[in-house]
Amino acid sequence: MKSSSLCKPWEHRLSRRQVLGGMAGAAAAGLGLGSLAQPLLAQELKKQQKQVIFVWLDGGLSQLESWDPKPGTQFGGPFRAIPTSVPGLHISELMPQMAKRMHHMALVRSLCTKDNSHSAGVARIQRGDPKNRGVTYPYFGSAVAKLLGAGDSGLPPYIWVKPGGGGFIDKDAGFLGAKYGALALGDGKPPENLLRHPSLSQRDDEERNALRRMINERYARNRRPQSNEANSYVYDMASALMQRMDLFDESKVPDSDWDRYGRTEFGRHMLIGRRFAEAGVTFVKINSYGWDTHGDNFNGHLSLVPKVDQALAAMVDDLIDRGMWDNTLLIMMSEFGRTPRINGHIGRDHWPEAWSVVMGGTGLKEGAVIGKTNEQGTWVEGDEHDIGHMFHTWFRALGIDPHRVEYDNAGQPLPIAHDDCHEIQEVLA
Amino acid sequence: MNEALLKRYKPKEQAVLSVPETQMSLVRFSGDGQLLLTAGWDGQVHRWRLGDGEPAALPAVAGHGGWVTGLVCHPSQQMAYSADSWGKLQAWDSAAESPQAAWSVAEAHDGWIQCLAISADGKLLATCGNDGFVRVWNAADGKLVRELPRRPHPVYSVAFHPAGESLVSGDLLGKVVETNLADGQEVRTFDAGILFAVSRLQDVGGVRYLTFDRDGKTLAAAGTIPSGGGTVQGEPCILLFDWADGKQLHKVVLGPKNECYVHELILHEEGFIIAVTSGTPGSGRLTFTIPGEEKPFFVGPNTLQNCHSVALHPDGQRLVVISTSRGSNGNGRPLKDGKYLGNHSPITLMELGAA
Repeated sequence: MKSSSLCKPWEHRLSRRQVLGGMAGAAAAGLGLGSLAQPLLAQELKKQQKQVIFVWLDGGLSQLESWDPKPGTQFGGPFRAIPTSVPGLHISELMPQMAKRMHHMALVRSLCTKDNSHSAGVARIQRGDPKNRGVTYPYFGSAVAKLLGAGDSGLPPYIWVKPGGGGFIDKDAGFLGAKYGALALGDGKPPENLLRHPSLSQRDDEERNALRRMINERYARNRRPQSNEANSYVYDMASALMQRMDLFDESKVPDSDWDRYGRTEFGRHMLIGRRFAEAGVTFVKINSYGWDTHGDNFNGHLSLVPKVDQALAAMVDDLIDRGMWDNTLLIMMSEFGRTPRINGHIGRDHWPEAWSVVMGGTGLKEGAVIGKTNEQGTWVEGDEHDIGHMFHTWFRALGIDPHRVEYDNAGQPLPIAHDDCHEIQEVLA
Repeated sequence: MNEALLKRYKPKEQAVLSVPETQMSLVRFSGDGQLLLTAGWDGQVHRWRLGDGEPAALPAVAGHGGWVTGLVCHPSQQMAYSADSWGKLQAWDSAAESPQAAWSVAEAHDGWIQCLAISADGKLLATCGNDGFVRVWNAADGKLVRELPRRPHPVYSVAFHPAGESLVSGDLLGKVVETNLADGQEVRTFDAGILFAVSRLQDVGGVRYLTFDRDGKTLAAAGTIPSGGGTVQGEPCILLFDWADGKQLHKVVLGPKNECYVHELILHEEGFIIAVTSGTPGSGRLTFTIPGEEKPFFVGPNTLQNCHSVALHPDGQRLVVISTSRGSNGNGRPLKDGKYLGNHSPITLMELGAA
């Protein structure tokens, strides 16, 4: 792994107690802060706070026009395949930037999931399709927010950068409770009305908040604690974000960064996502919509895929250059792939039977290629992997043992990933 | 007039050809009208000899990679030219039993050649592609004659003016450029920007087809007026321009948004447009339309759906259309007898005015 002289995000995450402790120690020893801070940093490094960057291409990226091309076959489409930095591995010509970086990545080409509808597929995939136990499981982002916590960044643990509107999306949290929902930054912008209105003095604002807390506490006395916790949490979160408005200041982003990520909506959102990850957010989800290419699939992918290729490659470079790669799990996927068969609108439909996911970073074997599809790209040859296998793998990569760690749903122990699935050992470092 | 035209040109099906599980994008008649050629997504050009009886299949022409995306025939010689999505351009004897390439250019473009055109005298070829280039080739030996300045977007369509002095090319953004063939200089542009839109992250549409009427007085630019990306939707549209002054004469919309793209068209010498459209599976038709009139005076049967190419026989009395097999779409695994089947492209030969 390339070393970096740049400071690491977790180096900025010393808790107030640790800083005060360090300062006290430094004072007692009559030494400067720097010399005593190092052991604290070392301890902090040991903890290696893990992070996730989860890129979601909503609607369904075609595996045949990306990670698993079948050029020159019946369903192969018009594009060529190109060699990559992993000997013997070819991907679509639409991804020249990622082709140069595949030795950092791990590719699973044997996904076989079960749902071919968007409405059920998105939730099913992002919840990891656990066994039905009569509860609604959390999305991966909420699960990670719960299991890894918020760290010491002071920022919400689950940030979602997405096109369109934003807000607090509590449905992602399922039975974990609304507190573990996603803070969605619509178009990467801060939530509306985040900052105190200029007409309101700070003192008035503080008094209002004190009143709100008092009323909340009274309201919560005879009610389930989760709802009040979530309500208070949103206010706390807003307060934390108000302290980090610098993260939304795009004027400070160098031109070279915009160029590298691409001056597109997706490039911008990926760059914003990187900034939040750098700031220490545990789970950053970045969405792109418009991938449901039932019509004009090939010209559509010709337009779409290179933009994702550019931004994803820039993200890989930055995570490596900033020393974040070994602690960050980077994943890019959709709710399913697209049919080998090409319809009359020169489109591809929904295909959960044989598709791919690409990932990289912490806990994963670099340059791994797991599973394969047949010559036509219609079915998986060998072991099929469902989303449950991926959840096991991702948790394991994050240092969470999915066989031992359980959720506690008001006293009911629940597995964090599908009981009948297991991690894909070949992809783990 | 419509009734008279309908009587004179109403098509009647003569034969339907196909190659199992093979989809086609283009259909052409040879210059002498003896052959029918189609461009396949299997990297082959499929051929049939036309006679009094059923068309007789000839061996397919190989040598391409990816999809065959360009196909033209010499107007007076037994030569055909084909281009593919991997960037290759080649020439071959269209009537030979087992045609060998007369010449080929393996990397005529970097990747997908979107369109191939031939000049009226058969001396020049023009290609354009996703690499943003438009190139002009000597049809006799495949030598590069001219390369136009690279555009930052895919160039989808190219056509020679019948007088032989100009070339037009249409790109993703809806810009149609006239180029002087003698010096390669840009002469003027035509605005077909309504055929392009940005939908979320996706650039949608573009000038998908360009053609002239026989006299070169009218230029047609076709595609869709996009209303969304992903599953692209949009009104199928043809823009007609007066070649003399460059002004737009008509905007012909051939159907609702689900019909989407005009894939190809013919400006018939009697003033109407023969066009094929394709959109949401099951939609897309063969239409005969008089510019300025609200509706087509002929719409093909719904057995001809998702039509991608149309050609008029040199005798003017026969028409051929490439469409798509019915029930072409569907999520998940539709199996037939345990096998996952692909679609195919019915090739429908029709006689005009025989109904």
